[in-house]
Amino acid sequence: MNAAPGRRGRARPAFRLTPFRLAACYGAFAWMILLVALPHLLLAAASLAARGDPGYLDFSRLSLDAYARLLSPEFATVFASSTALAGGATLICLLLGYPFAWILARAPRKWRGFLLLLTILPFWTNSLIRTYALIALLGAKGLINAALLGLGLISAPLELLYTDFAVFLGLTYTLLPFMILPLYGSIEKLDPRLAEAARDLGAGRTATFLRVSLPLTLPGVAAGCMFVFLPAMGMFYIPDVLGGARTLLLGSFIKAQFLTARDWPFGAAASVTLMLLMAVLYAFFVRSGGLGAAHGARRRAA
Amino acid sequence: MRTTLAALAAKALLLCALAVLLPALAAPEARAAKKELFLFIWSEYIPDAVLADFRKQTGIRVTATTYDSSEAMYSKLKLTGGAGYDIVVPSADYVMRMGAEGLLLRIDKARLKNLRNIDPKFLDRPFDPGNAWSVPYMWGTTALAVNSARVDPKAVQSWGDLWRPEYKGRLLLPNDMRGVLGMGLKLQGRSLNSMSEAEVKAAFEKLLPLMDAVKVFDSDSPKQAILSGEVDLAVMWNGEAKVAAEEDPKIVYVYPREGFSMWMDNLSIPKGAKNADAAYAFIDYILRPEVSARICSEMGYATPNKAAMARLDAAELANPVIYPPEDAYARGEFEGNVGQAVTFYEQYWTRLKTR
Amino acid sequence: MSRLLKAFYAAAVYLFLYLPLAVLVVFSFNDSRLTLAWKGFTLSWYVKLLHNRTLLDAALNSLTVAALSACAATVAGTLAAVALSRWRFPGRKSLSAVMYVVMMSPDIVMALSLLVLFVSLGLPLGFGTLLLAHVTFCIPFVTVTVLSRLSGFDWGLMEAAMDLGASESQAFWRVILPLAAPAVAAGWLMSFTLSLDDVIISFFTTGPTYEVLPLRIYSMVRLGVKPEVNALCTVMIGLTLAAVAVSHLLLRERRRA
Repeated sequence: MNAAPGRRGRARPAFRLTPFRLAACYGAFAWMILLVALPHLLLAAASLAARGDPGYLDFSRLSLDAYARLLSPEFATVFASSTALAGGATLICLLLGYPFAWILARAPRKWRGFLLLLTILPFWTNSLIRTYALIALLGAKGLINAALLGLGLISAPLELLYTDFAVFLGLTYTLLPFMILPLYGSIEKLDPRLAEAARDLGAGRTATFLRVSLPLTLPGVAAGCMFVFLPAMGMFYIPDVLGGARTLLLGSFIKAQFLTARDWPFGAAASVTLMLLMAVLYAFFVRSGGLGAAHGARRRAA
Repeated sequence: MRTTLAALAAKALLLCALAVLLPALAAPEARAAKKELFLFIWSEYIPDAVLADFRKQTGIRVTATTYDSSEAMYSKLKLTGGAGYDIVVPSADYVMRMGAEGLLLRIDKARLKNLRNIDPKFLDRPFDPGNAWSVPYMWGTTALAVNSARVDPKAVQSWGDLWRPEYKGRLLLPNDMRGVLGMGLKLQGRSLNSMSEAEVKAAFEKLLPLMDAVKVFDSDSPKQAILSGEVDLAVMWNGEAKVAAEEDPKIVYVYPREGFSMWMDNLSIPKGAKNADAAYAFIDYILRPEVSARICSEMGYATPNKAAMARLDAAELANPVIYPPEDAYARGEFEGNVGQAVTFYEQYWTRLKTR
Repeated sequence: MSRLLKAFYAAAVYLFLYLPLAVLVVFSFNDSRLTLAWKGFTLSWYVKLLHNRTLLDAALNSLTVAALSACAATVAGTLAAVALSRWRFPGRKSLSAVMYVVMMSPDIVMALSLLVLFVSLGLPLGFGTLLLAHVTFCIPFVTVTVLSRLSGFDWGLMEAAMDLGASESQAFWRVILPLAAPAVAAGWLMSFTLSLDDVIISFFTTGPTYEVLPLRIYSMVRLGVKPEVNALCTVMIGLTLAAVAVSHLLLRERRRA
């Protein structure tokens, strides 16, 4: 998906099925078709159906009505605020996570596994409980304010909770490992000799990083960004708890259509639209050279 | 590289082994009991000791699993046909919907000899005429908690007072469409179960300017925000308000004069229940005065069981947060099901949240 | 200087990750039902936890499902990544599209679509269906991570191994897997983490006999999360930290020997 197959070496042989290839290519494939593709095709069909009561769906009256209802300023607002939130969180995670993953990947070999585990351990504690701990830190009577007041650095409590700051902090805190782990995988395999060679050829530190190291780790960057951005688009619980839920986010909008309003066609239409928009965004990202640059640079570097 | 891999694989295997072995070692008696009952309920909504005593008396083992919202419980039962669970605890509005949709078993009142313990004012309510589908479990209210150290409670006896400019940024509302729109409906003298689009629209228009005054929307744990001083006025249900008032006695609970919403959780038997006999035995057990009194005083909510009230201590009965005074009770209205009107409720709620 | 800076940065990130956990640990000893202010030291929540069998059972169920689904997803996801990266087989595009759908699909959609599928297949809801669901949403995280590691991989190595007489699966085990190992491990860790924390999908795909921890915790929200949960989390943090530290030390010893 985000990484194209290797293009070096000899010409690609024609595809011949062996037992191993059958397992590799079609094991997960069969699983995904049954458990994901079929139900999601039904979802797409549901978006065309009419609401039924007391049942959920009435397939006797097909229409694009649900999609027409999406063309409202409210849905645009919901979509825009969710995108902004997810985009912001992705950027923060990337900026925070890249140097960290780099340090981990360049740590002494015997420590790497240990440090990696230490990074993800906090996330084995329930996220709701961790979010409540963040509230205890950020509140007006929280630990941060108490500490700052105690030290005499501020005279009135800072407003931290129920702000955009708290929302981004919470999102970053929840999603950071999903940025760090794929980055680690891709930085770890980066051959330090490539950077050395570039330095020997007269490139500065910045140029070496931007033109050699970064492009070679872009597949990891792309994977990490996907792991943060896509879940963040559907996430609402943590932003709601920390931000005061004053903005309606896509995740809770869609959930409400299915559970509260019991309007499955509308919920399905919103989900299908979301996925299509994301697909377009992703295709655009790939075209505009996000990954193309990676392959180009690798050829140059090699 | 190999060593890192080996290390990680070993750690992973260790954890796997632990995870698989521990439950196997820990639960040898799990399959022993034959008479069983599957209860679908809010987490920690019934004391474990009550379930243990019930087992001692009847030999029926109760397995409780949980849900975190009525609509999630409803959707799951609807899609699975109600199979697997023997008792559910729907709120009033979902009793109405699930009964109408044939998801619940009609209650055979002859099998519940303790039903006479329930206060008649909680029976035969509009959400379940004749108690065809449900038996009251616990009840309460949703009204206004005020931090009296910062706002005089006498100044906020009406929902309309929340619109005053000095409360801007100091207000918490539920993150729930029925809760917020219901408040607007009450303020306009309507039923909070209104199915008239014009009435809901009027409530929406009234509420629109209030949205900018709200600092937090929270239905899950609103007590946190008022206790930590983030807000001074908070619309919350009485269970939250009770805990908040115990923590900080300055927090008082006001029943606004236009009326407010009441909730009731009820015991019902899903249509697909495999152990209906056990379910009846369980409901009748809960209806015993001593059992109901024990549950309600441990959980801190109001019991609809008149015989149980006689066993509670006076302080608990006199707590206006748990048991509203008669005149306040008269202004309360149980939240019922609004049928297809839910569509425009949801639309107006979306518009409120995306103003 | 630069080494100091690196150490400082890493320490700051670890502090960010562990500070909320420290708060949680401290509050697990707090003599108050609410995590708001310190009211004195107590061990009573730990005593209560010991008697709360349902909470402990749910925690063990969670760990079981997370470990099993992470292992299954890692196997399936790694194989799929190799296939996607190596061969242009019929259905390749559909496979990557479906992986993308899983990551994009809102939880509630995954949850309801899986529930509808299980019900129409007549599968009884419980441990089995829960496991199927968890493996499904974990696979793409493994696949994408391993794929990013394999990008630019020299497949000539695998062919060289096969020229030397290795079978395709031997070449996979001996050549590809060791090279992809850090990404495979990262994929396992992410799957384990995702599975351990999932609420909505778990709710709709499990049945009345099998409950996992996040469901109990989210369900407590309405009545106030019990301090026993803080105690439970503290115990779990302590146990995992200890397990990780011990295995790290043991492996170091063995390497030295």
